[in-house]
Amino acid sequence: MTAATIQRNRPSGFRISKRVLPYLLSLPALLVCIGILIPFLTSVVYSFQRYRLSQPWARQFNWGDNYISFFTDPKFWNTLQVSLLYAGITVVLELLLGLGIAMLLQKRSTLNNFISIMLLMPLMTAPALAALMWKLMTNPGFGVLSYLASLIGLQDFRWASSPSTALLTVVLVDIWVYTPFIMILLLAGLRSLPTQPFEAAALDGVPRSFVFFRITLPMLTPYILTATLFRLLDSIQQFDIIYAMTQGGPGDTLTVFQVEAYLNFFQSTNVGRSAALMIILWAITYFLSNIFIKNWLRLRERARGQA
Amino acid sequence: MASLELRNIVKRYKSQTVLDNLSLTVADGETLVLFGPSGAGKTVLLRLVAGVIDPDEGKILIGGEDMTDLDAEFRGVGMAFQNFALFPHMTAFDNIATPLQAKHSSQGTIKTGVESVAKLLKIGHVLSHKPRALSNGQKQRTALARALVGSPPLLLLDDPLRNVDAKLRFEMRLELPRLLADRGATVIYVTQDYKEAMALGDRIAVMSQGVVKQLGTPEQIYREPANVEIARLFGDPTINLLDVKPARDAKGIYVGLSNVQVHLAGAHEAAVGRDCVIGLRPEALAFVDERTPGAIPVTVEAETPLNEKIVTLVRTVRGREILVSRPSGTPGQSEGKVYIAVDSKSALLFDRTSGERIGSKNVVNLRSGEAA
Amino acid sequence: MEHTSLLERILRGIALALVVIFFMFPIVWILMMSFQTNETILRIPPQLVFEPTLANYTALITGKLMTAAGTLDIAFMRNLWNSVFLSVTSVAVALLLGVPAAYAFARHKFRGSEDIAFTLLSFRFAPALLVLLPLTLYFQKLGLANTYIGLIWVYQLICLPLILWIVRGYFEDIPADIEYAYRIAGHSWFATFRKIALPLAGPGIAAAGLLAFIFAWNNFVFALVLASADKQPVTVGALAFITSSGIQYGQISAAIVLSITPTLALALYAQRYLVEGLSLGAVKG
Repeated sequence: MTAATIQRNRPSGFRISKRVLPYLLSLPALLVCIGILIPFLTSVVYSFQRYRLSQPWARQFNWGDNYISFFTDPKFWNTLQVSLLYAGITVVLELLLGLGIAMLLQKRSTLNNFISIMLLMPLMTAPALAALMWKLMTNPGFGVLSYLASLIGLQDFRWASSPSTALLTVVLVDIWVYTPFIMILLLAGLRSLPTQPFEAAALDGVPRSFVFFRITLPMLTPYILTATLFRLLDSIQQFDIIYAMTQGGPGDTLTVFQVEAYLNFFQSTNVGRSAALMIILWAITYFLSNIFIKNWLRLRERARGQA
Repeated sequence: MASLELRNIVKRYKSQTVLDNLSLTVADGETLVLFGPSGAGKTVLLRLVAGVIDPDEGKILIGGEDMTDLDAEFRGVGMAFQNFALFPHMTAFDNIATPLQAKHSSQGTIKTGVESVAKLLKIGHVLSHKPRALSNGQKQRTALARALVGSPPLLLLDDPLRNVDAKLRFEMRLELPRLLADRGATVIYVTQDYKEAMALGDRIAVMSQGVVKQLGTPEQIYREPANVEIARLFGDPTINLLDVKPARDAKGIYVGLSNVQVHLAGAHEAAVGRDCVIGLRPEALAFVDERTPGAIPVTVEAETPLNEKIVTLVRTVRGREILVSRPSGTPGQSEGKVYIAVDSKSALLFDRTSGERIGSKNVVNLRSGEAA
Repeated sequence: MEHTSLLERILRGIALALVVIFFMFPIVWILMMSFQTNETILRIPPQLVFEPTLANYTALITGKLMTAAGTLDIAFMRNLWNSVFLSVTSVAVALLLGVPAAYAFARHKFRGSEDIAFTLLSFRFAPALLVLLPLTLYFQKLGLANTYIGLIWVYQLICLPLILWIVRGYFEDIPADIEYAYRIAGHSWFATFRKIALPLAGPGIAAAGLLAFIFAWNNFVFALVLASADKQPVTVGALAFITSSGIQYGQISAAIVLSITPTLALALYAQRYLVEGLSLGAVKG
């Protein structure tokens, strides 16, 4: 009787093998990936070509010429310099500011929680729109920030339209948008730290600076590293804020990698140079992201172990 | 209703072999207890039988039918998990109903089926609760009910009493055998508790490091353990183990215990002159008169009354500690110098290096031929 | 922290107040501007007290802007609709593709699964234009240029890795035994996926979907490169608006307010999950 019961339950008709199933489930996602891998490879090919959209007939392989020309090209060095400067300044300032705010908000209280939720709002604002908001506020004619600047003696402060303050202005917008990101990450980190070392230090009367540098910072390091690399990867590729604010200008003050590549492609229609720029940026981010992923995986494992 | 046969099962995880060429047969309607320390491979074995993981080698036959390549849902077994594995988003009723729903039973059949098994397990009043609103005992009964409800011919119970409190465990230990017998199902029951193993098993398979070390009736495992380790695992208080070197004289094989020659009736010839460990169950020792042959002088150190027995810790003149147990209410000495004697037939001799039991009555190993 | 002096508490209070002012001021200010007429906006010094007007919003919603020079057409509502459509559809597609894949990655450690998962993750960090620029040329050849389908496909670059990694974490948190129990009860893997895995990972899937929506909505560069005016979302549309209508600052402010409101609302609604989601689960727990 039992054998019969089992018999009836036997699988019938179409059945997916256990081995094939996981591939089948991830196949659609994989296809999308492949669709993206192809343009990536095309970029590599383009970067080795002399290719201008305006002169499609003159398209030919020039091998490393695009890259070699970079060495003698002041525009390229400017791009590299501005990109690194922008990434460096934003990440350092955001890290310091984010850590400071996280420590201010560390104690769980209704007010602190409320503020930390409020601070999410800049982060959730589209960076391009944030740039427009700041553009309105720094308008030389009626911008409230221009007015405030004039109150402290900075008459006719030009913000993004002056080469000397353009970088400062976009950095300010970047800080406004992304500091909350570092803040919430570090706040999560701070709040997950064990309390015993701090209680022990307080009981022993250890000076607070010592506690900060010898206990808090080391324990927070994985979080700081994750936040830093996350931001560094985004910041070195920043496009939205800079393009929306100044289109890379004034002049070529703010032609960071992606902006420069965009302008090369759509204005100078120099596809080859544009692609080569992107490959160099990709190499930089690939290097950074490898460090990042390793560190991030470790943190993920740790968080999982605690949960 | 369904026999189970495992043939040369091998399961590896990465480089580690969890089950090493394991073969086992469970007869129709039999309750087999898998007993062993954690990491022995018991749970992996159950999951292989259930079909949720696949063996690397070997065959699994249920009711004589090869089910090795069949997915879990087609095997028709019932399983209760150690951590209950209840579906947290369903009520107890829906949890128990899942096997019936899989068979596309009618609403009425499902209702009757769930309610009758719930009544049997005394959880009828909590059927509308979600698992998080259930006590551990109720969770355990729900998990059990879910395993039983479809009347599966083969029932796999993975240490179901592990995570419940002592009182409930005691109750269930009394209740389960009847419950399982009523069902008439073939049962594989995993446990780390030797009392549970003794109470529930028609046979017990003692597992260690992915192999079955001994397979036999509870009686056999207790009386004739295959090695020191098994002897130590079964029995409370633990068996007394003393280093000895058996010798023989005109009256037979004897061992020296505290300068007293104790003759062993059941000892095997092979033990003579070997470095051995003698295993003496606390209940195989008794307080005796000084004139009894083979009486060993000892000093009483402490006495612990347990419910149904009294355990006495004594010390020999050589300073070795021995536990003696006697039924409650029988006379005994609670302090001072006394004499104990060994029930020579139940003394066990083990090889000191290999730990294997030295014995002529190798019934156990013959019976478990396919497991060796 | 118990022994804080009064001075320290005052300093902390001031610091917090400055932080709140810095981060909240732009949003508050733009919100105020959106209720002002151009005249009030252009007044110096800027006005804190003014008579609020809904004219800016009316102009945006009706798509007709009355100026002294005549009537101007504003396509902003079209941008808003594009944003909604693109974000919702992209997230839906990403969930459809990503959730099964996340399940496969979480439950079956098949060969190459880690590599594939990492390749997907690395998209999160690759420069967008690296892929976008050649893609514009391909899209022109394939007829996908300036189509919703093309845009939704490219938006998978943002949504898919996010959903894959967050949801995978949630699936991994479901004890395997629970799924085993359902299989053993006689249900197929698909029934198990539908009745056990999906409901239990539900909150995670919802959170990942919300985040993906926010990221898709806030994206700028994809649509800038691949879409022309009639397919552009608000991020690109607002920029175009600022260039075309020049000095209509009230309307621009109102447009910005309308554009950022959906994401801010969602963020406040789902803030519990944001930390986890933003760091791809790196600081879970």
